[in-house]
Amino acid sequence: MRSRAAAAMLADAGLEHVFTMQGGIRAWEGLVASGPPESGMAYFGDAVSARDLARLAWLLEDGSRLFYVRLDDFLHDEDARKLFQDLTKAEISHELTLGGLYKSYSGGRAVEDSLPQERDDIMEGGISVSDALVWAREKDVASILEFAIALETNAYDLYI
Amino acid sequence: MGVLDYFRPVRSMTTEEAREFMRGKDPGDYNLVDVRQPKEYERGHLAGSVLIPVGELGRRIGEIDASKPTITY
Repeated sequence: MRSRAAAAMLADAGLEHVFTMQGGIRAWEGLVASGPPESGMAYFGDAVSARDLARLAWLLEDGSRLFYVRLDDFLHDEDARKLFQDLTKAEISHELTLGGLYKSYSGGRAVEDSLPQERDDIMEGGISVSDALVWAREKDVASILEFAIALETNAYDLYI
Repeated sequence: MGVLDYFRPVRSMTTEEAREFMRGKDPGDYNLVDVRQPKEYERGHLAGSVLIPVGELGRRIGEIDASKPTITY
């Protein structure tokens, strides 16, 4: 009902095409993102230029890739391993896109050459890769998959 | 806004219609507004939605681009 009230207010304020979604999020079947509105955005504080943002995004993708690669060290389920190998490939393709962007913003410099020696141990969601791996070792495949789904859905949420 | 405004006829979409509506568009072409409380939003929200709790909508209405179609939930 809050959604109806909100839609009524917006229509009242002169918005022409306003709809309320019946049943709200409970009726939505499919993935939802979680976390506060600013989650994962804190890191953007000191990265201001487009070039720095591209480098930060590349680092996060690379962290996620590392996470998926290392999962292979201790997972035994073949289907799960195959899936995480596919996700690794997806992260590599994201890195290529971002690496290209970085290059165009930095006058042809490769993003790999711009990284500090002591790289931040960070992946998408602002999580530490080593923390995530320690966590994953204790968990079953289903929990790790749920974590990966949440990670990717949240990334999608933030990108759009 | 008075009590009667809550009973104004408002067009609604089913979740399926909303999904179909958004599928055909770029996320920048519409406003998807989550009007629940921050805690609810944190537990789960539709990807790409902005959080404007209904109680804050009056003063934050300017954050919504009036030229685009809007879906609230």
